[in-house]
Amino acid sequence: MTAQAWRTFICRACGWIYDEALGDADGGLPPGTRFEDIPDDWACPLCGVSKADFEPCEPLPVLRRTSATAAASAGRTSVGRRDAGVVIVGAGRAGWQMAQSLREHDAQLPITIVTACPGNVYDKPLLSVALAKGIAPASLVRESSEQAAARLGVKLLARTQAISVSVGARALRTTRGTLRYRHLVLAHGADPIDLPNLPPALCWRINHLDAYLKFRDRLGEPGVQPAQRVLIVGAGLVGCELANDLALAGHPVTLLDLCERPLGSLLTEVQSNELLAAWRDLPLTFVGGVDITCVRASGSTRTVSAQDGRRFEAEHVISAVGLRTPSRLALSAGLRWNNGIAVDPVTLHTNVASIHALGDCISIGGEALRFIEPIARQARQIAATICGETSKPYVRAAPPVRVKTGSKGFTVVR
Amino acid sequence: MAAVLTDSTLEPAAGQATPSAAIRESMLGKVRAIAGGDLAAMADAIDRQGTYPKAVLKQLGAAGALRAHLRLDGSHDYVAAIQAMAEVSRVCGATGFMVWCHDACGLYLEESGNPALMGQALRDHASGHTLGATGLSNPMKTFAGIETFLLHARKVEGGYRVNGTLPWVSNLGPDHYFGAVATVESSDSASGEASGHEIMFIVRCDAEGVELRNCPSFSAMEGTNTWAVRLTDHFIGADALVADPARPFIGRVRAAFVLLQCGMGLGVTQGAIDSMWDVERALGHVNEFLDERPDELQAELDALTERTMRLARTPFATETEYLIDVCDTRAHAAELALRAAQSALLHHGARGYLMSSAVQRRVRESHFVAIVTPAIKHLRKEIARLGATVAPA
Repeated sequence: MTAQAWRTFICRACGWIYDEALGDADGGLPPGTRFEDIPDDWACPLCGVSKADFEPCEPLPVLRRTSATAAASAGRTSVGRRDAGVVIVGAGRAGWQMAQSLREHDAQLPITIVTACPGNVYDKPLLSVALAKGIAPASLVRESSEQAAARLGVKLLARTQAISVSVGARALRTTRGTLRYRHLVLAHGADPIDLPNLPPALCWRINHLDAYLKFRDRLGEPGVQPAQRVLIVGAGLVGCELANDLALAGHPVTLLDLCERPLGSLLTEVQSNELLAAWRDLPLTFVGGVDITCVRASGSTRTVSAQDGRRFEAEHVISAVGLRTPSRLALSAGLRWNNGIAVDPVTLHTNVASIHALGDCISIGGEALRFIEPIARQARQIAATICGETSKPYVRAAPPVRVKTGSKGFTVVR
Repeated sequence: MAAVLTDSTLEPAAGQATPSAAIRESMLGKVRAIAGGDLAAMADAIDRQGTYPKAVLKQLGAAGALRAHLRLDGSHDYVAAIQAMAEVSRVCGATGFMVWCHDACGLYLEESGNPALMGQALRDHASGHTLGATGLSNPMKTFAGIETFLLHARKVEGGYRVNGTLPWVSNLGPDHYFGAVATVESSDSASGEASGHEIMFIVRCDAEGVELRNCPSFSAMEGTNTWAVRLTDHFIGADALVADPARPFIGRVRAAFVLLQCGMGLGVTQGAIDSMWDVERALGHVNEFLDERPDELQAELDALTERTMRLARTPFATETEYLIDVCDTRAHAAELALRAAQSALLHHGARGYLMSSAVQRRVRESHFVAIVTPAIKHLRKEIARLGATVAPA
């Protein structure tokens, strides 16, 4: 039998490593003292904790990252305080569009995107029709965030939360460091409304690709696993489109709303009835006038209880009760707030010259218009402002709303 | 000049009992006199000879600096407590840190609801008659998923027996005491498995089963009486319990604990800016080429001070957005202290690099502000956790 190799143990308190080959001469342990032979009253020579606070440690070679490998793993690097140029918060349609418009004006301008999500490029409207169109979840990403960042020459900080703005110092504080900006563009969009009776740990809120992919993963492959029941709370655009898509894929769906008919604020009563008629042959039930009090979990079943005592059961609950714009960054920057970041209807300026905003997080005259079409025009307007060029006034027009309920679509002109 | 030191516009929000601005100003005046007098005279000895400034801490207690955040006088005034700590840290970061250690301990005593810790014991503590400390670095890091518990408690007749060693506890002495947390081992498990519940308690340094052990030298903190503390079957009875279970208690005091620390960062930053102005007449013609100038740093410090003091009006709020703001403010104070102290060294050049210079001492103090629990990285990790989206499992 060969002698056992020398082992090493690490102090959990301070990280000092005890190497049996070396011992601890100052602590009275000659070289070659086995860990189990160390007396109990021995103390870590660095911090004084006892032998019991040591654990075995296998030294592993550390792979040192060079700047080349750091670039390859974009989004995991930390940031310095150097000039980050134009800093864009958010990597949805508005964030990427903003980077694109800036690049069209100026090839050299440093651009940094900070986003809490992975930042991959995708089309959000497809999330509510992907099943019926047979788009595999993996195909929803049009371009990876690394590719988009490389194409546009953008420094991307993915999985990084923007925390607050120090206006005087022109700095954006994030969970990976503080960025000095020349211009700051808020393009962080809006979040699903949090209702206390629809707790996020029990209810899906599908507002971006990550959440959708996770939901689809739990839902299983259509036709492979037994179809799971889905309860959707909120029969607005997102709720109705998702309900239709899931039902077309064979999932029994119950769609609940406080309102008596689906899409009550967008469609006429006649149209709502046409929609209900189109759903007649699907496993889709709409129930109006439901005021939800709570959601409970029991095993894999979720039970939604209503004020009037009705109960609904399903394997999944989706909350689609609307959006609200997060105010943290705007308020820390002293931006005027009116149901969103208040911007000028013609110039799109905020009340702080070096800070801009576009997309779902802005409001004009107190109204947020959360549609895709205006985003490109907004980005061009802001890019011109940042690059000191003149541009045509922004024209605010509500685009026609395309209701993508697969069984019967509508186009609503407002 | 500095908002941190002179701002009297920041009064508690309407509806709260208003601590008299006169009481606050009188206390801060005394603190400034102590800091600029006895403390300034011994700051170098604290740093380089490891002198423990016991007399200064007692004077600060007598001036009311160690009780502002407590309710003994009716209502707490965290604005005043943080300002006092900033005044001290402006002159000596190590002493500012000890003020925080003592203040945090006062917070534990008062919030414990334990009569044995709240009566005369709390009054003696608040006046600086007795001195206390905090050993919560390890549990705070454990709750954040950075470390594991170092103290282990076993339920016994009438209380608990605690074993384990805390590596570095500051502001200790034979007649001092500190707050600590131990994980309770489930009684039916011989393997010492954790029961998933913790207790928080006060340890008296002179009690049975408590041993203070020397620890290696600490940069800029030699005068802080920092020791490793080994507990061996140390008995914790009802009279020493701060909270059982500990987690809800720590959730309640966490923001106040972190917020108070801002006083260290704000003060060290102000001290650095002061020293930059000291050489402006002589060296301004060359210092103008430096990146971070005192006027810009002061503007950033003033804005940060205002933000800190706004948060200090509601130190026991528990909303997620509030906790994120508190962590972010504390992190900003550390980042600003680092930048200001470094810039001050560049402003002074070789004269600031002498071991006897407060300018290089402050560089080390700013490093401490950045790494003491909660460190910058710990705060950012916590903000990321607090801000993360929740979804069904």
